[in-house]
Amino acid sequence: MVRVAGLILTAAYSSLIVWLYATQPQTVGEVTGGIASSFGAYGIDARAFDEGLAFFKHDQFVEARAALTRADPALRDARTQFYMAYSYYREGWGRVYSDDALFAKGLEAVDRAIALAPAHRLVVDDADLGMRSADELRAELVRGQTRELSDLNPLKVFRRRK
Amino acid sequence: MTALREAIVLPVLFLTVALLGGVRLAADARLVPPTLAALLLGTLLVGAFLRARVLAPEALMHVRRTWLENTSGAVVILTLFAASAQMFNLLTPEQGLLHVIFIVFFGVQLLTTIAAIGERAAMLRSVAVLFGAMFALRFVFLENLYAPGGGLVARLVTAAAEGVTLGALGYTSHAPATGYVGFATLTLYLIGLVLVGQPQPVAAQHATAISTRGEDAPRARQ
Repeated sequence: MVRVAGLILTAAYSSLIVWLYATQPQTVGEVTGGIASSFGAYGIDARAFDEGLAFFKHDQFVEARAALTRADPALRDARTQFYMAYSYYREGWGRVYSDDALFAKGLEAVDRAIALAPAHRLVVDDADLGMRSADELRAELVRGQTRELSDLNPLKVFRRRK
Repeated sequence: MTALREAIVLPVLFLTVALLGGVRLAADARLVPPTLAALLLGTLLVGAFLRARVLAPEALMHVRRTWLENTSGAVVILTLFAASAQMFNLLTPEQGLLHVIFIVFFGVQLLTTIAAIGERAAMLRSVAVLFGAMFALRFVFLENLYAPGGGLVARLVTAAAEGVTLGALGYTSHAPATGYVGFATLTLYLIGLVLVGQPQPVAAQHATAISTRGEDAPRARQ
């Protein structure tokens, strides 16, 4: 009995260690959320998500990200990560140039969202967004960080934020 | 060895060492998996343990034991190997010339130990001294030398060392908490080694010797 318990305990503990080394969580929330999601028991804080969405729609992106982080501390919810990436995009977007640091963080978040989405396909039904799929958002974030000749086009100042 | 120690205490102890051995704390927390060199050194060390009877394989895996007992014995050996590899990972700088120097030193030292030491107690002392000394070298000397905001002497010494080696040393310092985690890891590992193969009591050894002689006697007569 002791040996069977020991083998089960060892298997569970070693799986946890392999998972920790593979995912490199940075906070306790990421650890607990990751473990909960592996049992299908992870859920976001809906109230914090709604707060984040409200801040996002009022262009208060720093506040929005704080609320969204509170809603999804383990970074395991695709939709929340999509809005997180979108907030980086909207904050970093400029008529003349884009903020590369914010776009890079947005790219990390949208990559997380794509990885978490079923079949890696994520479409968010939100009429306020110019881009509703994670693929569009990702392409826009990559484009914003790319240096090319069209960056010098003066007509760029007339483009609109999506 | 009791079933509790073999099936639960030792695997949990060694897996904890394997987990904590890769912890590096700085601005962020990282878990560093063992390098190939650490795995090879871990193999050498387990070989040294077998030779010096720190680890008695027949006490963990034997034809007379049940499959369940043999499985838990194999788990002890595997977790000891993982913990040993992570100990080298912990004590060796991650990159640069110092990484190579430490690996070569560990390799030579282990080969010497395997050749020279054949007793359990001497092997345990040797490993404790080796790991203790390397821990002090890495987490007391090097970490203080390369700590950000070090004094003028530390900056002069590191600048001279980097200059002489054409910048090949490339040591990256960590937060002091890494050293404390490392110390706990080293302590757990040494406790595990002491627990892994307690020498048999004299009476039991005597009984084993008589039984072995009894089995060999008919063969000798033949």
